[in-house]
Amino acid sequence: MSSDAATIASTEPAGTPGGATGQDWRPRAASLLGALVIWECAARLLASPVLPPASAVLAALIAMTASGEILGNLAISLGALTIGYAAAAVVGVGVGAAMGRFRPVEVILEPYLNALLASPALIYVPVLFTLFGATRLTQVGAVFLHTVFVITVTTQAGVRNTSPALVEMAAAFGATERQIFWKIRLPEAWPFVMTGLRIGVPLAVKGMVNGEMFIAFMGLGALVQTYGGRFEPDRVLAILVVLILVALAGTSLLDAVDRRIRRPA
Amino acid sequence: MIAISHCSKSYPSQNGEPAIPVLAGLDLTINDREFVCVLGPSGCGKTTLLRLLAGLVLPDAGELTIDGRPITGPSPECGLVFQDFALLPWADVLANVAFGLEVRSVPPAERRARAQALVDAVGLAGFERHYPRQLSGGMQQRVGLARALAVDPAILLMDEPFGSLDSQTRRALQEDLLRLHHQNRKTVVFVTHSVDEAVRLGDRIVLLSARPARVEEIIEVGLPRPRPDDLGTSPRFVGTKEYLWKRLKRQAAAGTGANVI
Amino acid sequence: MPGGRTASRRSGSGAMTRRVVTRTAWRVASLAVLLGLWELAGRTVDTLLLPTASATVGALWHLAGTREFWSALWISHQAVVIGFPAAAVLAIPAGLALGRWTALDRWLDVHLSMLLVTPKSAIMPLIVMALGLGLMARGVTVFAFAFPVMVATTRAGLRDIDGRLLEMARAFGATELHVWRRILLPGTLPAVATAVRLGLAQAIAGLVAVELLLVAVGLGHLILTFQADFDAASVYAVVCVVAAEAALLIRVATLAERRIGAWRGDAVHT
Repeated sequence: MSSDAATIASTEPAGTPGGATGQDWRPRAASLLGALVIWECAARLLASPVLPPASAVLAALIAMTASGEILGNLAISLGALTIGYAAAAVVGVGVGAAMGRFRPVEVILEPYLNALLASPALIYVPVLFTLFGATRLTQVGAVFLHTVFVITVTTQAGVRNTSPALVEMAAAFGATERQIFWKIRLPEAWPFVMTGLRIGVPLAVKGMVNGEMFIAFMGLGALVQTYGGRFEPDRVLAILVVLILVALAGTSLLDAVDRRIRRPA
Repeated sequence: MIAISHCSKSYPSQNGEPAIPVLAGLDLTINDREFVCVLGPSGCGKTTLLRLLAGLVLPDAGELTIDGRPITGPSPECGLVFQDFALLPWADVLANVAFGLEVRSVPPAERRARAQALVDAVGLAGFERHYPRQLSGGMQQRVGLARALAVDPAILLMDEPFGSLDSQTRRALQEDLLRLHHQNRKTVVFVTHSVDEAVRLGDRIVLLSARPARVEEIIEVGLPRPRPDDLGTSPRFVGTKEYLWKRLKRQAAAGTGANVI
Repeated sequence: MPGGRTASRRSGSGAMTRRVVTRTAWRVASLAVLLGLWELAGRTVDTLLLPTASATVGALWHLAGTREFWSALWISHQAVVIGFPAAAVLAIPAGLALGRWTALDRWLDVHLSMLLVTPKSAIMPLIVMALGLGLMARGVTVFAFAFPVMVATTRAGLRDIDGRLLEMARAFGATELHVWRRILLPGTLPAVATAVRLGLAQAIAGLVAVELLLVAVGLGHLILTFQADFDAASVYAVVCVVAAEAALLIRVATLAERRIGAWRGDAVHT
């Protein structure tokens, strides 16, 4: 599973670890700008009903923000997102640490974790729906299920990764289990945990959207369904932009928290 | 014959800091079939010199020529042996040894035969189908050596090839190298930071200064070939080693900002 | 001496079997406990919400006998069979190209990052707007889900290759073709196996998404119908089928991945 954690980490959007350096952002910004220009020109030329030009998307975004649709639904979505993510972080780190530390726990839980990682989290949302109906709980549960398994596996890899030589050294100096945990296991596991938490953010956003599109009641996902049904691609794309920004903002926030924690005491 | 004249090389540094000069006005001539050891403090540019000879980088100033022809890129005249072996982990020993031959479009049957001959010559007979991860460090470097020799280069460039091996394995490989060199004399440029190794192996020792490197001194080793069994205690061997040690210590003490040994 | 050695070898393999047996015993026991708890919960709580394990098994059994179920299975799989291989065929070369030519990557990386981060479910309405509600739209959705992660994983695999090997090849005078044949392709192969595994998982996620959220056909349609009929046991049954199939496919992919990456020695542990 440690290779899984490594693989998951390697597919994480690049350039974000530690924030973009001075060199990094220029080609990226240029590329984005270029793409926007190409999009605008191509969309105008093709005049396809499905591909609105960037300017139309921007206009839709402004219109929806003005009408309060965006902010209202965003607030609702973010509520479920933060609660679901926080729960997934707590449970994921807890269970993952237990699995990494105690072999019996790992042995018992591993098959379930593998199966859950392999299956699409969305498939469990109907189960939540039969249990809890079209409520906030289902929504939070959707976010939770999309996020918790990856956090668990990366944390497990991190805790498992603790170098036995260091633990032995600490024990030789008379450290207690608790001291060993705080001074060696936790710091060594931290980068892995952090990776899992970072990857968890876009996963949580996906869970949020999936859940909302399924229940189709409120939140940004529901809004996507509505405008999708009304054949308004400019509005759908506008909401997509908001969703991407939410994911990026969440990841940046996490990075900032990580930097703060890692700052030498 | 390899001729290096007024060679300079700097590495561009990142983040707006000034470039790091590695070699400055280096002059050196290496004769055919000579075994030259390049010795110097850590980080002084020995590896850079080798990479220039291999044609992997070009100098900022000055000229490097082989038999009068300037070095513009990797050439079939040179075979390279790396400190960290650089073997293909997904290929077996025979395929690794045959790598250079394959790149030069040697037909498969001949490739296999030549590779096999070298596998035997470096003492790895029976390990043809093994993969690098199944081999010890010493064995892996033998593969590296076989690979370089397989293309039958006129010049062998060796970049601290035994540096990551333990001292016993190191000795064994040094003896193997001497034996192979005795059978088939090539021009060898051997980079090392081990004084013992340099004197044991070389005909001449080029002592480089600290960075930016020039040739400090060239020492004639003058020990007989093949090396006698009592080499370790021979007065000339011990004396040369002592002399080199003192020179290196003086370099470090002169404190040109290079690493201490 | 020889007697001692055989004795220790015997006890060595004995310890190994004991470990496997203990491990299986723990797992079977915990599974039994889990199922037992589920059964208990189902019986105590209102069965409309929470069917018992036995009811779910019963529903599954019944389902397997219906034509609907198998035709739903067939319909659903069509989208994966169309979308996933197409995604693989395009994504893997793309990943290789991005990994090899950094100039290209510098331009396209930001777009790949955004694709990875985007909730693909939200793109689905656009796909349907363009292609209607048929198999094509579902196939394209599966493609869209699987494509980005396969590109990123393949790219990472190529970048992972030791740069010293490339320099070694250059020193020996290798051409670009040689470098690809002898170094880049064999070196990236394990990562490609991983990419296929991750892409497959995403393809299934895409399938589930399109059928549950947008175009009610196949297994998604079954789930939604059972949901509307308040037939919780059947909902659970279908969910189990999908989860089990995903787990099985990924398991097979993982084993293949381990096989392919055998030369790494370190790599894929349990």
